Amino acid sequence: MSARPLAILLTLLLAGILVASLGVGSTEVVGVADGVRGALAMLGLAEPLEQYQVLVELRVTRLLATVGVGAALALSGALLQGVFRNDLASPAIIGVSSGAGLGASLAILVIGGYGPRFMIENAVGFGPVAVTASALVGAASCAWLVTTLSTANGRISVPMLLLVGIAVNAIAAGLLAAIQSWALRDFDVSQALFSWVFGRLEDRSSFQVGLLWSGLVASALVIPFVALELDLFATGEEDARSLGVNTSRVKLLTILAASAAAAIAVSVAGQISFIGLVVPHVVRRITSASHRAVLPLCLLAGPVFLAGTELVQRSLLGGAHLQPGVTMSLLGGPFFLFLLVRHRRELRAW
Amino acid sequence: MVKQLKCEGVTYSYPGGAPVVDGASLTVERGELLCIIGPNGAGKSTLLKSMAGLLSVDEGAIMVDGLAVSSLGPRERARTLALVPQFLDAIPPLSVGNFVMGGRYGHLDSWRRADSADCEAVTGALLAAHVAELGERLLGELSGGQRQRVLIARALAQAAGYLLVDEPTSSLDPEHQLGVFSLLKELAESGRGVCVVTHDLNLASQFADKVALMQSGGFVGIGTPAELLTAEVLEPVYGAHFRFDSWSSADDEERPVVVPWALQ
Repeated sequence: MSARPLAILLTLLLAGILVASLGVGSTEVVGVADGVRGALAMLGLAEPLEQYQVLVELRVTRLLATVGVGAALALSGALLQGVFRNDLASPAIIGVSSGAGLGASLAILVIGGYGPRFMIENAVGFGPVAVTASALVGAASCAWLVTTLSTANGRISVPMLLLVGIAVNAIAAGLLAAIQSWALRDFDVSQALFSWVFGRLEDRSSFQVGLLWSGLVASALVIPFVALELDLFATGEEDARSLGVNTSRVKLLTILAASAAAAIAVSVAGQISFIGLVVPHVVRRITSASHRAVLPLCLLAGPVFLAGTELVQRSLLGGAHLQPGVTMSLLGGPFFLFLLVRHRRELRAW
Repeated sequence: MVKQLKCEGVTYSYPGGAPVVDGASLTVERGELLCIIGPNGAGKSTLLKSMAGLLSVDEGAIMVDGLAVSSLGPRERARTLALVPQFLDAIPPLSVGNFVMGGRYGHLDSWRRADSADCEAVTGALLAAHVAELGERLLGELSGGQRQRVLIARALAQAAGYLLVDEPTSSLDPEHQLGVFSLLKELAESGRGVCVVTHDLNLASQFADKVALMQSGGFVGIGTPAELLTAEVLEPVYGAHFRFDSWSSADDEERPVVVPWALQ
């Protein structure tokens, strides 16, 4: 399928999923018409609902977070797969996910618990801001550490980056486990830590959603300056340089944008894996391998995938639905295994 | 301004190693086909990459049409010098036409849009490299000889004054070897400076205007095929005995035929 029809299809699908999602939540079911009216009322375009206006507003915020997180993670994965020339690359590789996890967990430990309780009781007003900011610092620090350690003479070595990423991820995982075991005594803190590790799209503040979308827009702005260049990377970095590509700049821009997008998404919504791995891969299979098509399409396909699975499981399971990080791992894990098995021959050839 | 590609005392070593290219000096004129020959490890491909501006040399200077290659920006460099690599790291799932369009990267505007001039340049390059009929085919479906011509077409799309070609015939049968060298000769005669690294002494003898023999990072000699392809010059460098014959080309120049015969 060529890129334009796919973009139209994804836009229609996303619009449908979002409208349907306005009516479905873990508590009350609101009619689709009321959901849309409540959303329009937020923009001053309709009368607010008498009964469920607050509920719809919470759902709109949740959907904005879902769309932002899906787009940011899918874009991040597509950029990293392009620059590493490897379909198995994902945001977790450069330490962004574990760095954000470490930062958020430290903040939760210091604040002493963070979760819906604080949103409702407003006991710790700065809780979400502190946890998000700390996660962002953690993610950025890990991404900076991984890229700095794998840079020599101003050039990033991709194999070195993959190996340093594994080491930094292992260190972060160890520290995270230490924090979790310290916190076992305190039920609130433990629950908050686990809730964050499983990913969370509900109860996000407008500050968090604003931060997420700013990061997403800033990262997406690099697309016109790296898309064709990443296509030329396909035949090797030296070949791209001989064609006039400033490979150091493209690698730096791409890795910065991918890190920022993933770091902000993970900081706001917790650890949601595999979107960055699965979505770009599927988009490439359906349309062309050109990054000029894949990168913008991931901005639509990521939200369709995340919001779609959320809608399906909320409709089926209602209040007992799984957290998004869990669903994504359940879907993404087998998909990753499928990719590895499919690439078996190439892996053996290495 | 002198239109030539010139290396003067170029030295290059890979990090932590001894110099691979050591004080090499060479001039490629527009309109000539120059072949760099020499044993494995002599530094031929490294010198070619240095000339293409892909390696920053430790000492010496590489000048193209009076400008230092190192002073050119990446896109300007690609418009001046085109490198045809020996092979690609991976074969992208692209049609020949789209792949050759990659050669226009240095000419695109800041939004990376291709205009009609770029499309015309790609069509012209496909025609000049005799692969116009392959435009819609996927790169992965081509034979070795066709792929080599497509690589040359992409370099032609760069519209550069100089072509640097790394071992273009190493995996080709005699028909395709002759085809590729005839094409390179044609391109030199049309006014480009063409510099080819090759192990094939006979193709160098038959097609080159000048031959440059490299050993241990430097040049042992640079001259016409008849001057350089002799037992006195070749045998100490290659450590082998050769048998020679010769014939005269259409331009009445003596072209030696060289057969490696025995180890020394």
